[in-house]
Amino acid sequence: MGAGADDQMGTTGAEVLMQIALKIWRYDSSTGDRALKEYKIEAPEWATLLDCLDIVKDQHDGSLSFRKSCRMMICGSCGMRMDGAAVLACKTRMYDIAQSGHIPVISAMGNLPIRKDLVVDMDPFWAKFKAMRPWLEPGFERPEDGREYRISQERMNVVHKEALCINCGCCVSECNAMESDPEFLGPQALAKGMRFVGDPRDGETVERLEQYNSEHGIWDCTRCYFCNERCPKGVDPRDAIAKLGAESIRLGIDRDMGAKHAKWFVRSAETTGWLREEELIPKTQGYVSAIKQLKFGASLARHGKVRPVPIPHTAKDVNEARNLRKLVREQDRQGALGHVQGEHALAKLEHGVAEESLEEIYDRPGAAPRPWLPEAEEGPEA
Amino acid sequence: MIAKHDVLVVGAGCAGMRAAIEAFDAGADVAMISKIHPTRSHSGAAEGGINAALGNASEDDPEVHAYDTVKGSDYLGDQDAIEILCDEAPGDVYQLENWGAVFSRTDDGRIAQRPFGAAGAPRTAYAADITGHVLVQVLWEQVCKRDIPTYEEYFAWHLVENDGRCQGVVCWDLLDGGLKTIGAKTVILATGGAGRLYVGTTNAYSCTGDGMAMALRVGLPLKDMEMMQFHPTTLAPTGVLITEGCRGEGAYLLNKDGERFLKRYAPNTMELASRDVISRAEQMEIDAGRDVDGNVLLDLRHLGAERIIERLPGSRELSMTFLGVDPIYDPIPVRPGAHYHMGGVATDVWGQTELTGLYAAGECACVSVHGANRLGGNALMETITFGKRAGAHAADWALSHTTVEVPESAERDAERELAALLERSDGERPWSVRDELAETMHENFGVFRREHQMVKQGEIVAGLRERYRSVLVEDKGEVFNSDLTQVIELGFLLDLAECMVVAGIERKESRGAHARPDDYPERDDENFLKHTYVHLVDGAPELSWEPVRMTKWEPQERKY
Amino acid sequence: MSTTEIRPKRVAYYKGCLASLSAKELDSSTQALAPMVGLELVELESVTCCGAGDIHEAEPDYYLHLNARILAYAEATGCDMLMTVCNVCTLNLRQANYMLQGDSDLLARVNENLETVGVPPYSGNVEVRHLLWEIAEGDGYEKLKEVAHRGLKGLKVAPFYGCQILRPSKIMGFEDPDRPWSLERIIEACGGEAIDYPAKIKCCGFPIIAAREETALGEVIQPVEQAIEAGADVMVTPCPLCHLSLDAWQQKLEASTGREFKMPILHLAQLVGVAAGLEEAELKFKRHIVDPRPALERLEV
Repeated sequence: MGAGADDQMGTTGAEVLMQIALKIWRYDSSTGDRALKEYKIEAPEWATLLDCLDIVKDQHDGSLSFRKSCRMMICGSCGMRMDGAAVLACKTRMYDIAQSGHIPVISAMGNLPIRKDLVVDMDPFWAKFKAMRPWLEPGFERPEDGREYRISQERMNVVHKEALCINCGCCVSECNAMESDPEFLGPQALAKGMRFVGDPRDGETVERLEQYNSEHGIWDCTRCYFCNERCPKGVDPRDAIAKLGAESIRLGIDRDMGAKHAKWFVRSAETTGWLREEELIPKTQGYVSAIKQLKFGASLARHGKVRPVPIPHTAKDVNEARNLRKLVREQDRQGALGHVQGEHALAKLEHGVAEESLEEIYDRPGAAPRPWLPEAEEGPEA
Repeated sequence: MIAKHDVLVVGAGCAGMRAAIEAFDAGADVAMISKIHPTRSHSGAAEGGINAALGNASEDDPEVHAYDTVKGSDYLGDQDAIEILCDEAPGDVYQLENWGAVFSRTDDGRIAQRPFGAAGAPRTAYAADITGHVLVQVLWEQVCKRDIPTYEEYFAWHLVENDGRCQGVVCWDLLDGGLKTIGAKTVILATGGAGRLYVGTTNAYSCTGDGMAMALRVGLPLKDMEMMQFHPTTLAPTGVLITEGCRGEGAYLLNKDGERFLKRYAPNTMELASRDVISRAEQMEIDAGRDVDGNVLLDLRHLGAERIIERLPGSRELSMTFLGVDPIYDPIPVRPGAHYHMGGVATDVWGQTELTGLYAAGECACVSVHGANRLGGNALMETITFGKRAGAHAADWALSHTTVEVPESAERDAERELAALLERSDGERPWSVRDELAETMHENFGVFRREHQMVKQGEIVAGLRERYRSVLVEDKGEVFNSDLTQVIELGFLLDLAECMVVAGIERKESRGAHARPDDYPERDDENFLKHTYVHLVDGAPELSWEPVRMTKWEPQERKY
Repeated sequence: MSTTEIRPKRVAYYKGCLASLSAKELDSSTQALAPMVGLELVELESVTCCGAGDIHEAEPDYYLHLNARILAYAEATGCDMLMTVCNVCTLNLRQANYMLQGDSDLLARVNENLETVGVPPYSGNVEVRHLLWEIAEGDGYEKLKEVAHRGLKGLKVAPFYGCQILRPSKIMGFEDPDRPWSLERIIEACGGEAIDYPAKIKCCGFPIIAAREETALGEVIQPVEQAIEAGADVMVTPCPLCHLSLDAWQQKLEASTGREFKMPILHLAQLVGVAAGLEEAELKFKRHIVDPRPALERLEV
């Protein structure tokens, strides 16, 4: 998880230094000047990218600008790109990079205007966030006794991942859909939206979903999974967007073409098993629009990609698929719950699975000593 | 003056946002100033939880909470303020939950509470180990709901004092550049602490005591400044925080031999003794050579992977990212780190300072609810309860007064300082002054204080202040000139360091976090059951004393 | 190890929807190539669409069951590997597999439902791998080098990975999602020259090409444009959905920009098939909208 090969580093405070170089894209918005500058520095072996930037600023070029605050991966200030991929600078250990001799290129996050160097204009980011009405709209039920709402941990776990978001912007930086459609609400805003749609205390689920089903909303997501990949906190915004889609469909908010597209896949699976490809466009866009694309359709037909008359290509034993649909629809994993049910298992991919017993852990070679209690005696006064 | 408001909140962490929300709900025209975006505030790094006698985990009572707090403060806390805190805490926590805070839950769906240091009952309401983050998010959500204007990335530099009142703040616009003055009928300082005085600190880069220093510079007293809490479990070398919640879940502290050494220092409460007791115990083990590379070991192995991943995932990630240590398999090396300012701007129980119209709340204030040592979980609670109270009182005052007058001269001091800082073309770069301050404070004004070291530190600080007068700001630009703001922050730190050392030398006893093992190892209630007050007279710190306000509890021997 | 000593590996073969219909050329090329690279394909019949991102999003419980059914039937063939030829199928099946393998309660519930409708239960013993992974390393790669005797004769091939063969990397995990190498390695083993360009790991836009065409075209244009600028003769992709975007929708790019692209897109199995000497009857290039044959003939490949 980012640690260097040798992790007996720096715990004494005595610093073992390493040589490392960075290339940083400098930018002055008043002149429009851009320049890639290289800095060679000496940094402690435990240094993160943020520590290296501080050394550059302190000792080499005080005009380098970047945001920082907590240096412990919780405030979200230091999002930036390293070799074109958004990271939190304070989370990025540099030991391996220094050892390999690679000189990373540091630049500002993508999809947001750059103010200076590594500082982006976050206004568009916050504007989209606020557009989600990101606050609890309590329903009619309030706690009777003036205390807290009573909700099970299991029910609150529906929004566990979305609540982790620190608004760092790494997901937005890499969003392919937003690059093509700058008005796309984006992974961060939509994940925040899911945080409320999934919160049992919120009473505006339907209103929210109607809003998030807009032109630049849920169905604008291209499913590139860059957001999941870049998020430093494990929020998985793409999955949050999928949960919003599931809830929309569950509640019948499904007029968007994206929803119709998805529903056609479901219809295909439960009728013929295989995707009824040739009918996909008319079912998504409507027959009027499909007719407008006759020329396109004809070119596909010419090459055999579609047949002039769609004959269903039915899978063997498709009844099983039909019956499965009927069966699962009666069970209690509808909508977002269908996504949440898999989170426990998928979390293991991030956390790892520790199956050793405590004895085995204590007995590992090189393990720290087992804990023991001394005899109860008066020690030095605290 | 670019704008004026009824209430102006400086700092937008938990205390600042809570104050702003309260003022808004009371009908005031309120705005916040923050040198970083509000959700970046260091309140968000708080991990373990927020204390309130909800009674969800066991029988509990605000009075027990108050007693624990009074004892925890080593009897320096003002008991009227403590009683208010503990009485109002449950309602304030329910308010946060009703606004949507994502707390962890008990089996019957209520807010989960865990045991914490020096608490008589498990009353620390938590959200896994990211409670501060959860609270910052819910408060920011409520700020957005009310559309409270925020001057984001405005660096507050000077308070405007006019006609016996505080009437605004002079800022440097960090994002776009330029001096900008904002007028207000009332100003609430909620700027947090100054952990950056120390080399090993849990605090963010932004925690430079801005509000405390600004208040000091307009002649207000800072109370109990010698009281700096050292958190027992921070990661070397930078001081990143590992929450007390680990110990709340049952983790052990071991020395290099695997011994749970706290049995010899705090036999009853062990790992859940008060923080000052544990930090001192650790330091003694380290000084006696029973350390592992300057650390003791925080052992979570017996908690099991499932519990660690469910309740303490953040701590695990921090340990793995910064040290490459997985607490499922290995203990986390930890040591004391500067964490929290018990001291701060002296206020009454409504957050009012001596200057009419100026309030303070949260870590930058000293009411005092924490006295000489703060209980884990009480800081978040203070930000909410006293942020709310300051917001309410400030709104009330502002709505019954009409004028705001910011004199032309308000910006002149700032203009002069700005010119002096920017026009230099050579000089020492500030980082060397900053690092030397942090290293020497760590060495001479840390967990243990000794007369000769404190006196030496006073001299060192004086020398650094002299060097500060000619530091070089390299960036002369307007846009995002953090080179400039970092130098201003260094100036704040140097002012505060001076006050802390003066107070530390004069308190000739050991109480709470102020430990003088060599010359004054005992607590001296007869002579020192009182608060230090330091304020500037002709630019030099002068010390005076104020009595502790006691209601119910007489000082007793403090054993854990 | 010579060709004769590597015994063919028996794998369950899941071709997915597109290879069954609009991308039949992918299926024919794969089936022809497989024995040459040491794979014996056991084609799964009682299976359905994997649901793509659509059923995964809209009806996640149904998605899980459809994929569990595919995995169960794969396991029933006695193979321990299920081979896919599509990025999206690979992600969907691997994700469902992890969900079932990592949660015994969930597996029990799903198996109960499968049994109710007459599907054998799944024990969690199948690994899902894309053909790409099979021939990029190990025995498959050794066989590849041997059979690619005709070679690509320096053909400049721009690899397009797309999204879901790389991300989320915790589910896919075959190679570094930001610095993948598998397609390049195969191109070179076949005698081609791998062309590098930034958009090779970005999205082709297919998931939204019907519902948000303009946004999708803004994505499609990037790899096509960049590959042309970098001097590529053809592009290759391991995903038939990306193929559809890049090939079939290329004409829409031309319509909206007024420019000619004429960049042929090959399926992975076709590229290797060309190098291995497969015939048009198997490669079925005539099914492509942008005909690759001129580019291939021009270079006398």
